Amino acid sequence: MFFLYSDTRQVTLHPSYFGRNMQELVTARLLKDVEGTCTGSYYVISILDSFEVSEGKILPGSGLAEFTVGYKAVVWRPFKGETVDAIVKSVNGMGFFADAGPLPIFISKHLIPTDMKFDQNATPPQYTNNEDQTIEVGTHVRVKLIGTRAEVGAIYAIASIKEDYLGCLQG
Amino acid sequence: MSSSTAALLDTQFDNSEEEEDFKLQPVDTSDDGASDNETAPPVKSKRSEPNDEDEDDEGEGEDTAPKANDDDDEEDEEDDEEEEEDIGRSRKRRRGPRNMFVEDEAEVDEDEEDNEDDEDEHELIKDGFIDPEDNHDDLPVGGETDDRRHRELDRRRELEASMDAEKQAEILRQRYSKPAKGRGLGPGGNFTIVPKRLLLPSVEDPSIWAVRCKEGKEREAIFSIMKRIEERKGTKQELAITCAFERGGTHSTMKGYIYVEAHRQADVMTAMDGLVNVYPRTKMILVEIKEMPDLLRVTKSVQLDPGAYVRLRRPPKYANDLAQVIDVTDTGLEVRVRYVPRLDYGMNEEMNATDPGKRKRPVAGPRPPQRLFSEVEAKKRHGRFLQNRGDKTFVYQGEDYVNGYCEKEVKIQLLITKDVNPKLEEVTRFISSGAEDGTENLDLNALAASLKHGTINASYLPGDVIEVYEGEQKGIRGKAISIQGDIVTMHVEAGPLKGQTIEVPVKGLRKRFREGDHVKVIGGSRFRDEVGMVVKIVEDRVTFLSDQGHNEITVFSKDLREASDSGGGGSLGQFDLWDLIQLDPSTVACITKVERESLIVLDQNAQVRTVLPSQITNKIDQRRNAVATDRDGAEVRTDDVVKEVGGEGKSGGIMHIHRAYLFCRSSEGGKNGGVFVARTTNVKSVSAKGGRIANQTPDLTSMNPATKRNANAGGDMPPPKSFGRDKAIGQTVTIKRGPHKGLLGIVKETTDTHARVELHTKSKVVNVLKEYLGFKDKVSGQSIDPNQRGGYSGGGRGGFTPRGGRDGPGGATPGNWAGGRTPMPAASHDNGRTPAWGSSRTPAVADNGGRTPAWKSGGDGGRTPGWAQDGSRTANPYDGNRTSYGAGNRTPAWAATAKTPAYSGGSDAFNPGSKTPGYAGNSGSDSWGSKTPAYQPQQQADNNGSWGQQAPPVSNWNSNAYDAPTPGAAMSAPTPAAMNAPTPSAYSAPTPAPYSAPTPAAAPIPAAHNWSGNWGAAQPMDAPTPGGGQQGYYGAPTPGYGAPETPAPGWQDDGPRYTDS
Repeated sequence: MFFLYSDTRQVTLHPSYFGRNMQELVTARLLKDVEGTCTGSYYVISILDSFEVSEGKILPGSGLAEFTVGYKAVVWRPFKGETVDAIVKSVNGMGFFADAGPLPIFISKHLIPTDMKFDQNATPPQYTNNEDQTIEVGTHVRVKLIGTRAEVGAIYAIASIKEDYLGCLQG
Repeated sequence: MSSSTAALLDTQFDNSEEEEDFKLQPVDTSDDGASDNETAPPVKSKRSEPNDEDEDDEGEGEDTAPKANDDDDEEDEEDDEEEEEDIGRSRKRRRGPRNMFVEDEAEVDEDEEDNEDDEDEHELIKDGFIDPEDNHDDLPVGGETDDRRHRELDRRRELEASMDAEKQAEILRQRYSKPAKGRGLGPGGNFTIVPKRLLLPSVEDPSIWAVRCKEGKEREAIFSIMKRIEERKGTKQELAITCAFERGGTHSTMKGYIYVEAHRQADVMTAMDGLVNVYPRTKMILVEIKEMPDLLRVTKSVQLDPGAYVRLRRPPKYANDLAQVIDVTDTGLEVRVRYVPRLDYGMNEEMNATDPGKRKRPVAGPRPPQRLFSEVEAKKRHGRFLQNRGDKTFVYQGEDYVNGYCEKEVKIQLLITKDVNPKLEEVTRFISSGAEDGTENLDLNALAASLKHGTINASYLPGDVIEVYEGEQKGIRGKAISIQGDIVTMHVEAGPLKGQTIEVPVKGLRKRFREGDHVKVIGGSRFRDEVGMVVKIVEDRVTFLSDQGHNEITVFSKDLREASDSGGGGSLGQFDLWDLIQLDPSTVACITKVERESLIVLDQNAQVRTVLPSQITNKIDQRRNAVATDRDGAEVRTDDVVKEVGGEGKSGGIMHIHRAYLFCRSSEGGKNGGVFVARTTNVKSVSAKGGRIANQTPDLTSMNPATKRNANAGGDMPPPKSFGRDKAIGQTVTIKRGPHKGLLGIVKETTDTHARVELHTKSKVVNVLKEYLGFKDKVSGQSIDPNQRGGYSGGGRGGFTPRGGRDGPGGATPGNWAGGRTPMPAASHDNGRTPAWGSSRTPAVADNGGRTPAWKSGGDGGRTPGWAQDGSRTANPYDGNRTSYGAGNRTPAWAATAKTPAYSGGSDAFNPGSKTPGYAGNSGSDSWGSKTPAYQPQQQADNNGSWGQQAPPVSNWNSNAYDAPTPGAAMSAPTPAAMNAPTPSAYSAPTPAPYSAPTPAAAPIPAAHNWSGNWGAAQPMDAPTPGGGQQGYYGAPTPGYGAPETPAPGWQDDGPRYTDS
């Protein structure tokens, strides 16, 4: 689910950068550091264009200035039970992997409708029910997340297509 | 029912003014059970105590299993029958369950209900809650009652109508919420069970004696008693015992006794008299009344089903080996089991077994490993013991082998049926076609059957979500709160007991997971410590996808527990998953799996090995900036995605680069957790060309590169622009490159880039790039730096030096200029100082004349002072030789300035002066020489002697290991002396000051004065330059030199000082 999320971040600046464009430097830095990252529980999709850069404070000892930047960001946090669209990245006998944006998802064969069988001999390998649904690399699928696992700087999820309205989006 | 209700209604209506009653009333009307709630409260307080007693009474005999509340009810009900006096309590107790019952199945037991109601009424009357008269009104059944009912209904309606909505809501709430609470006592309120209480033995009943009996013969004894009873039935000697039973069995705690019930002990004696295996004369135990019920408590005997696993006790060779039940005989005493044989096929028999007739002692020693029966092996040496029954069935040494397993009928006593806890490894031996990872093909049902009773290692922890799957509370779910032994206290979160805390025995519990849960294997299976996400749950079998290996694993839910989210990639000591380690000098490997004691690694040759941490030489830290080139020559770094060319065409991100090997990890998993090793020449970079982003924002936490000096000059400053006449002109040079390489000549003309050199060898003037020229000293042939010479760079240095001085600590100066810098270190040692900087500079001169420093630093060199010096030099009368002169000059200049500031290390320009004296002091008598001597006495001598001559200085330079400074210093010293201030003063304005101070002391000072006058006008700062001041041309330099201002003050200050000295 997407959220608009307010957060703050500390940015430090070397004294050699002190000057009129400090604010730009700080915000550029912030964008680079934060945008597109994953905290382990959500992805920062985009930072909105408004920043609140605090006054810089010199850190004793190093002379660096520390700024506290408040920002708003669009973040995406995958939830258990959330339904997302994803693109199949690889298919194997145990299930298939798909990516929903930055999120890698695994769909185990237990979570694929039983009528969809793995066909090793097809090129590329695919899951198919020999009717309207064929899942192979590149297929767009709609899946329901049934579990997420957070790691440092990454999230993984497993998902199911064993329910109504889930599965292959084409055809 | 109706009558009592009516009665209650009546009574209550009298009090109906009170709000409370008001509320409760409708409840009463709905069902009489609730009405009890009203009547009960007065006695409620009484209840608790008797209740406790009660429980004590019965509690002892009852199972240790925690009692659910409905149990209590049941028993309480029994109590009710007996303890009528405690009316309030009994009523309440009975109501709960009954109310429910009435609601749910109203027609059932209507009579009983009525009866009970009647009873209730009686009780109420007794209690004085109900007016007997009132009751009387009710009793007659007929029109009167009917009428009354109508009226009652009307009244109720009226009442309801008069109430406002809120109250009604409240009533409704009470009506429907209360029963729920009451009902919480459980759906199991069983009326149908006959109150056990009534059946319990009392004092009037016959007593039971426990009689000793031979262990294992209990049943026989009972049978013989039975026989005796039959025999003597109807005779005089009829046995007076009423009952006899045994609770033997291999695992029974009551084995070794039979129990006989009789009114008198004597009867027992007579009955037992003469029976075999029974010893009535030894201590006969009278069983206490309250223990009697326990004697008959049924314990579930272990049910052995085909497919279940057991362990063998005997023979010793197979002790504790796992066996599988194939069949159970009808008697239930023997089972046919199969197990994996441990056979050596006679391999360990002594070859020369002497007498086959003699019974051989079983050889003690290691028992053979478990292996399936092999016909081939058996035929080798024991062919004679082998019979083939066909269809993979053999008889070998009297035992049956089917499909490689040994099959045998075994008495149950010889089996361990409890706590079998088969391990998956063991079990997999019984599955011929089982998948290695214990998934689908594993007959988990059989395993489950064996494990059901093996609860010992089912570890529950507080917080586990558990489910009761067996027993009365079946289906209850909740969270474990605490665990004590085999009892788990759980907080129920679903079902009728929701919100309560109950205790349940471990054996009926299992853990509950949901798909998507993150779990970790904790049990004794070989998947221990695997972490993954649940994808499938079938009963208590949970399939999860391992985080690491991307493979699916099926285990029992009891072996799982919820894992923390962080997963725990696992580490063993200092080694973490995915680390690169050194196995031996030529082998590195990547850790692909961390087990409890060992690490699974993939080495550079793609071999998978299991290693212990102790076998690892060391861990190779990841080199973030390691670069390799792929087969196309494109550079690849860690984290880049590459694709194998050929092979399986795997692709993955590079984790480690080690020499020509890349350890990559594919995100899609596969063997080794997706890790594979490839040679750099065998991969292709997948990322787009130039995918690396160049325009990264600068690191804001370190120095801004844009503010760095010479940021765009590639580090060093360009040579200074020289003005005026090119110093190179007239120099003797050698050509270092090109067609004329090696030839000596004299520079005739120059442009910015080229020089026209007149060759010595042939009269020819050639054009040569300036940088191809090597400047030589005319006399010595040594390489020199034309610049330095000319400027005598002294100027240059002098120039900056002062600047440094001016700047303060001179830090800046030294920092930038070699010359300056040198002094700095030198500063630490008195002697060292001079040579130090001298050397630094000198070599510069000597080696590459051009020596960049000179030039570069030249910035300063070029500085006016430099120029000035040039001029000075040229014009210098005494120095016929410019060079020497310059040198002389320079030195002082340097010495003074550079040193001075440097030394001074502080803002104080005087220091130099002071310092110089310091030198002097060191050296001894000769004040200026002092310095020189310190450095190079000889030179000094030279200098002194030939002061004006060029040669000496040159030689100084050359000869001096580039203590140049020293000579310089020396020179300078003399200079002032000889020349009188002007010269020395010229450059070194400051410098000389210190140095020369001693000798010419007078000279400088005046000079200074003069100067300050002259120059001061031009440049106040330069004032110091006194030297310059004295001579017109100096002036020029001086100002440029301008920097020297510092010296100026210093000098002036010095002056006095010196003078003083």
